[in-house]
Amino acid sequence: MEEVKAKMPRYYLAWAKDDAIRKKGANGGFVTATLVSALETDFIDVALVVKKKSVYEGIPVLTNDPEEIKECSGSLHCVPLNLTKYVVEYAAKKRIGLPTKPCDARGIIEQAKRRQVSLENVYMVGLNCGATLHPLRMREIAAYYGLDPDSVVREEIKEGKIFLVSDEEGKEKEKWMKIDELEEKGYGRRDACKSCVTKIPTMADLACGNWGSNDEKKTFVEVLTDKGETLFKNAVDSGYVAIEEAPGKGIETRQRIDAGMQKRAASWKEKMDALKALSRSERFEFYVGALKNCIHCGACKEVCPVCACEEDAKCTGLYDERDSYAISMYNLVRIFHLMDSCIHCGQCEDVCPVDIPLTLIQRRFSERMQRHLGYTPGMDVTKKPPLYETELGWSAEAE
Amino acid sequence: MKTNSSICPGCSIGCGLYLLESEEGGKRKVLHRTTSPMNEGKLCRFGTDLHTYYEREAMINSVDGKEVKQEEAIKAAKESLKGMKPDELAFIALPGTITNEEIVSFVSLAAEFGCENVSFGFERFFSVVPEEAAYIIENGLPFSEVEGASKIILFFLDPFVHYPLLARRILKAKKNGAKVIEVSFAKNERGIADETVLVKPTEVERIKEKKELFEDSLIIGELTPYTNPQFLSLMLWLNASTSSRLFLLKPFLNSTGAFLLGRDGGRKDLFEILEGVERGEIKALYLLETDIAGAMLGGEEVAETIPKLDLLIEQNAFRTHLSDTAGITICSEPFFMKKGTVVNVEGRVLEIGGESEKGLGIMESIGKGRKYEEVHEEAKKRLGLGDSEISEFEIAVKREERKFEVVEPKIEKEEGGGAEEEYFLWYKTNPFFWNGIRAKNFVEISPVAMRELGLFRGDVVEIVQGEGKERMGFKISDLPPNLVLSEAKLSIKPLQGLLTRVEARRAE
Repeated sequence: MEEVKAKMPRYYLAWAKDDAIRKKGANGGFVTATLVSALETDFIDVALVVKKKSVYEGIPVLTNDPEEIKECSGSLHCVPLNLTKYVVEYAAKKRIGLPTKPCDARGIIEQAKRRQVSLENVYMVGLNCGATLHPLRMREIAAYYGLDPDSVVREEIKEGKIFLVSDEEGKEKEKWMKIDELEEKGYGRRDACKSCVTKIPTMADLACGNWGSNDEKKTFVEVLTDKGETLFKNAVDSGYVAIEEAPGKGIETRQRIDAGMQKRAASWKEKMDALKALSRSERFEFYVGALKNCIHCGACKEVCPVCACEEDAKCTGLYDERDSYAISMYNLVRIFHLMDSCIHCGQCEDVCPVDIPLTLIQRRFSERMQRHLGYTPGMDVTKKPPLYETELGWSAEAE
Repeated sequence: MKTNSSICPGCSIGCGLYLLESEEGGKRKVLHRTTSPMNEGKLCRFGTDLHTYYEREAMINSVDGKEVKQEEAIKAAKESLKGMKPDELAFIALPGTITNEEIVSFVSLAAEFGCENVSFGFERFFSVVPEEAAYIIENGLPFSEVEGASKIILFFLDPFVHYPLLARRILKAKKNGAKVIEVSFAKNERGIADETVLVKPTEVERIKEKKELFEDSLIIGELTPYTNPQFLSLMLWLNASTSSRLFLLKPFLNSTGAFLLGRDGGRKDLFEILEGVERGEIKALYLLETDIAGAMLGGEEVAETIPKLDLLIEQNAFRTHLSDTAGITICSEPFFMKKGTVVNVEGRVLEIGGESEKGLGIMESIGKGRKYEEVHEEAKKRLGLGDSEISEFEIAVKREERKFEVVEPKIEKEEGGGAEEEYFLWYKTNPFFWNGIRAKNFVEISPVAMRELGLFRGDVVEIVQGEGKERMGFKISDLPPNLVLSEAKLSIKPLQGLLTRVEARRAE
């Protein structure tokens, strides 16, 4: 006879019991406390976190020191990093816990499909994500607010506004503006983020954020997987985290915020699609004009969170520098190779030394292909990329 | 995983980046640093692959080919230098991976031994330009000036190849409404320019006839150790006789620091030093972080000249083409580990990000014995920096435009040649070129040349000049019929500048 296990509720409000973590971490420090507890109870071997160097700068840190995790607590909106490749390259064989934006989690799932990492070992503490900003654009926003960019000590994005707090000679000054207004003036979020419709990381193990929380010192947590449940229980049972069941109103609020943000993202996507209005020949001219500037530095491939090809990649293997085509085989192969798998995170565009609008181009090809194939990459590890040449021969469920 | 904040030593732009190292296996990876105002998180191919640059064979401490402790190598260097006459000594440092503090130390080390033969690779230019125009060699301009220019003249410069991180600034200027004109031997294949003025290799001086083109423009060119001094005079004349500004990029990261801090030391042209070695007048050479045979055209020739020295001292983090010949080698730290500052071409003072004072310590052990802080303060003072904190967001070393006059240059034509089958080889320099790395194994030729030389895909073209000969693959580009472009360094040494007459033929 099979034992019937009581199912945990899915939604919680949760916070760190440790006062210091609760105070420093975002929304009551649940994410930090969960990673600290996982490390201290030997649930994971390492944690991958982003260490704040300034309001504008953060670096990925792989650590097994709980104190270092505590130092890294708090949100950072100006660090448009994708952590996927760090998991693959530095911790593929370790039990690892990390906070993940939806694009981090989607990258990790795509890498798992390509056998670069085993999801069994990766605990993804998902973070709701409205967007990230390029740090230099945030400095420009600070200057636009009339603040000295170097004096900004805190930033926050809430209720559709960007808040900056400066400290000039010991005097704190807070300024804010609505994101919509800023973006109309040409400041604001990265293009890839503006048009991203995945705001809640439903593909991660847990999804955390302030949407739906009635207290700024409590995190709204959704438990999404069995793995997420064990991680969550571990944090609670080991005494690091306090919880209460999320009120129904909070759940509704969260859904409403998510729906509103998705709608706005979809409208941005429409607005930014400069290619839509062009004729076929004009589009071709656009592609040639943009891609002929490529200097073949390889950075877009290097940072791509779904690319698992190494030195034997088709895009580099088929490309011959002696060819004289305006659009090189490198770019053509990359566009086609990513048509089913691109998650539109914009990492490629961020690092492109000649500012090729790669997100726009890649989206133009891959979004229609993904729609046609009925496939959204990075959402479900059991679903094979439709253009993948061979059967995966495994699934996360089977494993 | 250790994250080192660093600066790319590939050229004078000084792109910010992170170098990640795995603590277990030493595996390195470059992480794009979006906060860096020089490059906003973007890197060229050299920067993207920078981790491989640091994977070269490390230098050892040695005396007469025998590995020794560092103190012994330093002691031997000191004793040997003491035994030389000042005019028999020379000090060379191409300023790619040396800090401002090391430059201060290097210059005073040379002075300590009474040596006036100090070269950072560019000395001959200071002797041909009027003193009031020296600022153009020394100081560059902030990229905001490029983005804000209304007319840009690319003077024999392909930004995508020579300085890839400059290209996006020019593209931005175009978006802002700037007109871009290129003056070159060949049209840029990416079509960055709105207008192209093609110049025949034999008629460079005729660009003077189009002086009005340069009015109200920002002229962007390049200055390398190989630039023909008369070509520099031409750029300066065009600048001085029109209402334009001139911005010269340089291939070595800390060129500005070296020019400004090297002012007080003895200056001797790099090529004169090498000729002095050849003639037996220079008997001892101290090479700081400089793979001279790897960096220079005709490196083989340099490698043949160097053994004529009585003493070669190499201070470097990595072995060079000459390390086997060096009497004394002293191992310093790789650039990313250094504590210290550099000045980029925009005038930003940048901290390297490391903590090691080893390279500086080596020179100070031989010389004055000062501590880092003392030398750092001296560098700051001599660069005119105040007491405020160093910030990469400040253009701390500013340039002041000055009026100057330059005699209208007459560019002498190369003697000889003229045969129909003659070609011109034009080196398109790039960060790989100056770091002794051959990133491309082909040259570019025109479709006409391909037909005339009877070449088919897969064939090899042979480029010949005197005893210099090189076999390379080829790419067909939209070039004038007799122009051969090379981004790789070949065994062909131009007589002046980066353009030279060669013969080309299909290799059998």
